[in-house]
Amino acid sequence: MARAVTPQRKAINTAAAWAVGLLIFFPILWTILTSFKTEATAIADPPVFLAFDWTLENYGVVMERSNYGRFLWNSIIIAGGSTLLGIIIAVPAAWSMAFVPSKRTKDILMWMLSTKMLPAVGVLYPIYLLFIKMGLLDTKFGLVIVLMLINLPIIVWMLYTYFKEIPGEILEAARMDGASLKEEVIHILTPMAVPGIASTILLNVILAWNEAFWTLNLTAAKAAPLTAFIASYSSPEGLFYAKLSAASTMAIAPILILGWFSQKQLVSGLTFGAVK
Amino acid sequence: MPILSPGQDSRPMPGRAAPWAMGVMAAMALVALLIFVLFPLWTVAHSLTGSRLLPNGPWVGLAQYERLWTSERWLISVGNLAIYAVGLLSGALGIGAGLAVLLDRRIRAEGLFRAVLLYPYALSFVVTGLAWQWMLNPTFGLPGLALLSDPDLAIHGVVMAGLWQGSGIVAVLILSGLRAIDDDIWKAARLDGIAVWKTYLFIVFPMLRGVLATATVLVLASAIKLFDLVVALTGGGPGLSTEVPAKYVYDMMFENQNLGQGFAASTMMLTLVLVVMLCWAVAVWWMGRRRDHR
Repeated sequence: MARAVTPQRKAINTAAAWAVGLLIFFPILWTILTSFKTEATAIADPPVFLAFDWTLENYGVVMERSNYGRFLWNSIIIAGGSTLLGIIIAVPAAWSMAFVPSKRTKDILMWMLSTKMLPAVGVLYPIYLLFIKMGLLDTKFGLVIVLMLINLPIIVWMLYTYFKEIPGEILEAARMDGASLKEEVIHILTPMAVPGIASTILLNVILAWNEAFWTLNLTAAKAAPLTAFIASYSSPEGLFYAKLSAASTMAIAPILILGWFSQKQLVSGLTFGAVK
Repeated sequence: MPILSPGQDSRPMPGRAAPWAMGVMAAMALVALLIFVLFPLWTVAHSLTGSRLLPNGPWVGLAQYERLWTSERWLISVGNLAIYAVGLLSGALGIGAGLAVLLDRRIRAEGLFRAVLLYPYALSFVVTGLAWQWMLNPTFGLPGLALLSDPDLAIHGVVMAGLWQGSGIVAVLILSGLRAIDDDIWKAARLDGIAVWKTYLFIVFPMLRGVLATATVLVLASAIKLFDLVVALTGGGPGLSTEVPAKYVYDMMFENQNLGQGFAASTMMLTLVLVVMLCWAVAVWWMGRRRDHR
């Protein structure tokens, strides 16, 4: 092993890496800690790290003042719905690209992915108009559709990279046994692609969960998800840092927990399948 | 390299064309065409009108563009975008490469570390904005880092928050490239007595052109879109010091009832993205050609 290192060296590397890791994690940790402080402690100078009177009062106030449950529900429906719909549409598309490739497949994929580079403001107004005309403004359904379309290129791309790794011999064997196309996709392909599909779903849920541009612009009161919930707590004067932190902590907790329990899928998903 | 270059080895599959899959793809292509080609074209066409509250203004030719490029706020926005893009690109590639090398030298609990690296990227810009607003605050933030209250420095605070969010994913991407490097190269370098850092700098990283190009495109694309982070972190202030193009477009369309001006600005942004993508396509083509001729 050319890159084999001595135990001491490895210990030093580990210490150095984790020092950086802690630094990276600090802002998140700080937000969580601040959510348990009183407003006065939150802006104390010098800052207090751990030695403060822990309180749950911010969570109480936030829960009381705004309907956290409804925002959370909207987030779940929007993120979950757009992901589910995207997967349903993308599986056949990725399947045909991976197993019945044509000369143009690569170009189509690149073109699809390149649409992700366009700045959203370029299409914001046309979509906004369309939403007004179709009565989709401030509906969960409208957002599910828009977020699904926005993330579809990534879903197709990722599923394609995973499907391509499935050996073709297995499909041939299944065909020899007389499996129909439908059975082939449902019983052979999908089970083998489960890890890849899981990563894809996780990535897409995270992307949709965090999506702020479209959710803030296309919703008002009824369909607003958690991003709008935090945004409504933002105050430029910074008078409510503890409450804002509590709101943020509640908004990011699902992602942190989900990421913690599915580290492999998180890494694989967030790097668009480049790291398996 | 793993991403953005599919299908080199599209193995010949005895495939069966599935009519329903083809139908889905055709429908999808149609919708994508509508949203990603026709809608921008609609935007470009209406940028030549004097539309205010509704997109029905009279034809004014290039007047909106003249106004745009003489607007102080737009010029500041473009300047800030340049600072942000350069800072983010150099910073994320530099930090990302450093972290990737550290991970490549093997550390304990690597899986966990990679997840921690990616956590910032998995959080929304709104939360990032909040955390950094706090840390860069002059009265109770981190000492010596009160960037956001100073008009000359505030944009660098935005860069810092952007780097926090984006460096991890660049690191993990580069790491995947490093892991794909053949061990023989390392053995050969060691036999020749080349120092480890020299091996990385002069042998390994030049081999990662593909990954580095991918990371560059990803970073630049996200930089051009910069919007939520600024809104959450500074709201464009103090003064106009952290305004960015996407926010200009948004404010013109939805705050100032000046649609034509917003369309002109978003047309400029679309042009910018096309230029970046064109450069990338040329680079890929050129690299491919060099490989063929070797």
